Amino acid sequence: MSDAPLLDRMRKRACIVRTRAAIRRWKYRQRDHAAGVWFRIRRVLADAKEAYVISIGDAKRLLTEGYKEEACGAQVEPQKTIIFVDPMRLAHLQSRRRIPVRLGPDFLLAAAVALVPFDSRRPSRLP
Amino acid sequence: MTFRERLIGTLRQLQPVLEEPGVLVVGSEVPNLLQQDAASTLVVSQDVGLAVPVDRVEAVKKRLGQVQGLIPSHEEPSVYVPTVPGLIEANFLGLDPRIRDASETYVLEDPDLPLMVFGPLGLLRPGPVLELEGLRVPLPRAGDLIAEKLLTDRTDEKGARDLLVVAGMLIAATPADLDELIHVAAGLSAESRHASCSALTVLSLMEGRAGMPDPAPVREMVTHLLSRMEAMQ
Repeated sequence: MSDAPLLDRMRKRACIVRTRAAIRRWKYRQRDHAAGVWFRIRRVLADAKEAYVISIGDAKRLLTEGYKEEACGAQVEPQKTIIFVDPMRLAHLQSRRRIPVRLGPDFLLAAAVALVPFDSRRPSRLP
Repeated sequence: MTFRERLIGTLRQLQPVLEEPGVLVVGSEVPNLLQQDAASTLVVSQDVGLAVPVDRVEAVKKRLGQVQGLIPSHEEPSVYVPTVPGLIEANFLGLDPRIRDASETYVLEDPDLPLMVFGPLGLLRPGPVLELEGLRVPLPRAGDLIAEKLLTDRTDEKGARDLLVVAGMLIAATPADLDELIHVAAGLSAESRHASCSALTVLSLMEGRAGMPDPAPVREMVTHLLSRMEAMQ
């Protein structure tokens, strides 16, 4: 093959892949800092079977009852309260409004979100 | 003519190459091949990807001489384009089992069949040979392919589609496949394992797309996989 420009294109493509890998490595080193917050939020949402916007009042009530606030909610601005709740308790929250489990506008605009876990063994209350 | 018919027609033309030991069908159409009933909903890409072990390139080049209906593209000789209707492109990639990280990606500068050798493709080991309408289609082990797709760079639309391929693979996965995925993940660097977990979280929150595997049914499986991968940290 005498097509040197073709090989150049392929080399550039390989270089781009390697560069992206280097960026990913940088992101990995940053994972415990601000740059990792979106992963942490996605990680929490991945454990959620269902998501509900709830009122600030209901969120405070849950916290008073011992339910645990997910730390990642306080790491974004505006801060949001994210709490895993068992379905029985959720059913008694008058303010609940179901939203899709994804990083969409409903979730991003909510001040407080209650999540129902897939796994009932997931700790939702403080010990 | 359906995509599946074109895919199978293309694989029929490529059968001489598929007979070369170590060559694998690795692209986004694998779920389509695995799930006959899902043919109409698993049209993820319009080409078929073939991984060629880097030490088999000479043998594959000889076998390419027997292939009819497909010729190398002028712009990209690693892509074979149809010369007759009813076929799809075949995209040849290099597989180097000595590497597995994207940072190790390189070009195999062969004069006739230059190949992009993507690092994560090195994870793929030969798996089942699918008997399909008289064809023998060599596939990678399912756990390997899922791991490879989770490590694929996701900066564009293709990357998003690759994650939906993972959804398709997970739908078809057996418990043994999932155990194998965990085993592969255990052999990755901590950084690559984190990238895999990150990809799984993205998949879990993705919306379904018309004509592609729906991620919603695999969300619970994803959360269990995440727990198992995190237990290795």
